[in-house]
Amino acid sequence: MTQPKIPVDLLLSALAEDVEKAHTRAQKAADVLLEPLNTEIASTPYEVVYAEDRVKLKHYKPVADARFKTPLLVVYALINRETMLDLQPGRSVVEIFLKAGMELYMVDWGYPTRKDRYLTIDDHVNGYMDNMVEFLREKHNVPKINLMGICMGGTFSVIYAALHPNKIKNLITTVTPTNFDTDQGLLHIWMRYTDVDRVVDSFGNIPGDIMNFGFLLLNPARLMIDKYVGFLEHMDNKDFVENFVRMEKWIFDSPDVPGETFRQFVKDLYQKNLLIKSELEIGGKRVELKHITMPVLNFYGHFDHLVPPGACELLTTKVGTADAENICLDTGHIGIYVSSKSQKEFAPKIVKWLKQRDD
Amino acid sequence: MNEKQHEAIGPQALLQAWMKASSEFFDSMTQAGKAPENPQVKASNGSKPRVVETWESTAKAMKAYSALMAEPGAMESLAKGIDSLPEVMIKLIQPAWNGFFHLQLEWMRRAGRIGETTAAYKFENLDQDAFKAFTDLYEKEFRQFLNIPRLGLMRAYQERMSQAADRFNIFQTTMAEFVSLLYLPVEKSVKVVQEKIASLADEGKLPETSKDVYNLWLKVLEGHYMTLFKSPEYTSTLGKTIDALSEFITARQQILQDILQFFPIPTQTDMDELYKEIYLLKKRVKQLEKQDKMNKLRTDTPN
Repeated sequence: MTQPKIPVDLLLSALAEDVEKAHTRAQKAADVLLEPLNTEIASTPYEVVYAEDRVKLKHYKPVADARFKTPLLVVYALINRETMLDLQPGRSVVEIFLKAGMELYMVDWGYPTRKDRYLTIDDHVNGYMDNMVEFLREKHNVPKINLMGICMGGTFSVIYAALHPNKIKNLITTVTPTNFDTDQGLLHIWMRYTDVDRVVDSFGNIPGDIMNFGFLLLNPARLMIDKYVGFLEHMDNKDFVENFVRMEKWIFDSPDVPGETFRQFVKDLYQKNLLIKSELEIGGKRVELKHITMPVLNFYGHFDHLVPPGACELLTTKVGTADAENICLDTGHIGIYVSSKSQKEFAPKIVKWLKQRDD
Repeated sequence: MNEKQHEAIGPQALLQAWMKASSEFFDSMTQAGKAPENPQVKASNGSKPRVVETWESTAKAMKAYSALMAEPGAMESLAKGIDSLPEVMIKLIQPAWNGFFHLQLEWMRRAGRIGETTAAYKFENLDQDAFKAFTDLYEKEFRQFLNIPRLGLMRAYQERMSQAADRFNIFQTTMAEFVSLLYLPVEKSVKVVQEKIASLADEGKLPETSKDVYNLWLKVLEGHYMTLFKSPEYTSTLGKTIDALSEFITARQQILQDILQFFPIPTQTDMDELYKEIYLLKKRVKQLEKQDKMNKLRTDTPN
């Protein structure tokens, strides 16, 4: 007897097996979901040492002897929260930096309200960031500090370093968009067709929920379907559920973006691409990338669909220092901070690089 | 008995007698109004109370009317008027009827135009083009009613309401188009996977588990979305949807402002003006503080 092309009996038995497995998993999942879960994020202790309006400067309490002379200021983006760098024990860039003996400070941009809608990039860079840099210079009695920027925070850091090179010892940029003239990422294509004036004039601040929805639309198949299918497949695993919920907590914790900052970011950067051409003006001053004369370490992800390699890699060719290095990791936009592989490559590399340039 | 005799004892005669009786009735009512005055009811200045005066004048008017109607000639003319009533009604109703038929004709012509616009699009694109057709239809045939100029004291408010309704309709259609566009890859990927499975079945290489089928579908779906998201159709629909949403929010905000201004609550415009002032003041203060600090440093630094 020849084998049938469609082995119905095998298909049915496989289906029955799947159903049985799903049933067992659901029973275990009920136990997991109903018991207490540890889903706390950003649990590394810190204190707020400086505050201005909604913005705070967090100082993480050292866990090892100080081995660096220069403090490190980390500037996160205005989109989502800086808590991603301290997602959970074992997946925390903050932990690695502290164990290496760094004096670590991080900007908490807070949650903008309607009164913040008029804040521009100048207010963030030459206002809040400069005040915090001055505070740290005074506190540690150092002429310069180390600056690390993430995503839009990296863009702000690049602008700051170009405008105030005398205050920055070393610059680290991670998944930082500096060149917006690329079709590698969907955001770069979509932003070109957005009437940002109309959006900002009608919304004021850009709602975090709309930003979230936009990011989900970048890959709805994976981010809206497959992610939750994966959850259903592993929801009987307590560790998996805890990690998943932590990530969900972070990813949907989206503050609004101040309207005028958003307007300028889209117009001058996404649409006119002024930064990489050194034609951007902030606070009436030209942002010359050649004025970035301190060492630069530039990380980006090969599979980053938000800030593709094409948006990051040009920076090191435009700065005014020979000590500029690109590192492309085989990871995505968030994986660079939270994947276990990157934990061994990313943060330790930064520690080593800064140590070599600490004197 | 001839016709006149018939009329003499017919409805006219009855009506005449009725009118005479009602005239006598109202006469007696007038007399009742002149009953001994109640000192408590009398007005303070000695004249009759207003209620009594009103009653008396009404009763007099009714008596005069009844007396008029009681005259033989009046009844005849009334009867002639009633006879001509159907003719008068027809004359009144005819223009309204003609107007209604005219409107109906116009609606049928519009419906005919709908058919013309959809016929212009190809059948296979009818799903997507249906949105374009509806948007065109709305803009050409219905929008004009919302743009009719308003009159009177409240005209500005009414215009803003119409504008908000207009913006809402446009937002609804563009959003529907956008959502249907997002659904297209799902539809197409299901078709592709079905064809793939059919061809695999022919080769005898069916996926072994449902997970394999799911993975296959997800990969196809992802690919379709990537193609869609880079297409000019998507970027233009996305742009239109965002614009329509922004316009609707602005129009809605206007209405809320109009309502809130009647309450002792600051409106968003009021708050925005305040926020701007505060922002500028704070910026100025910070600049001055920085300048002051720089000046102090210069003064303190020995030469």
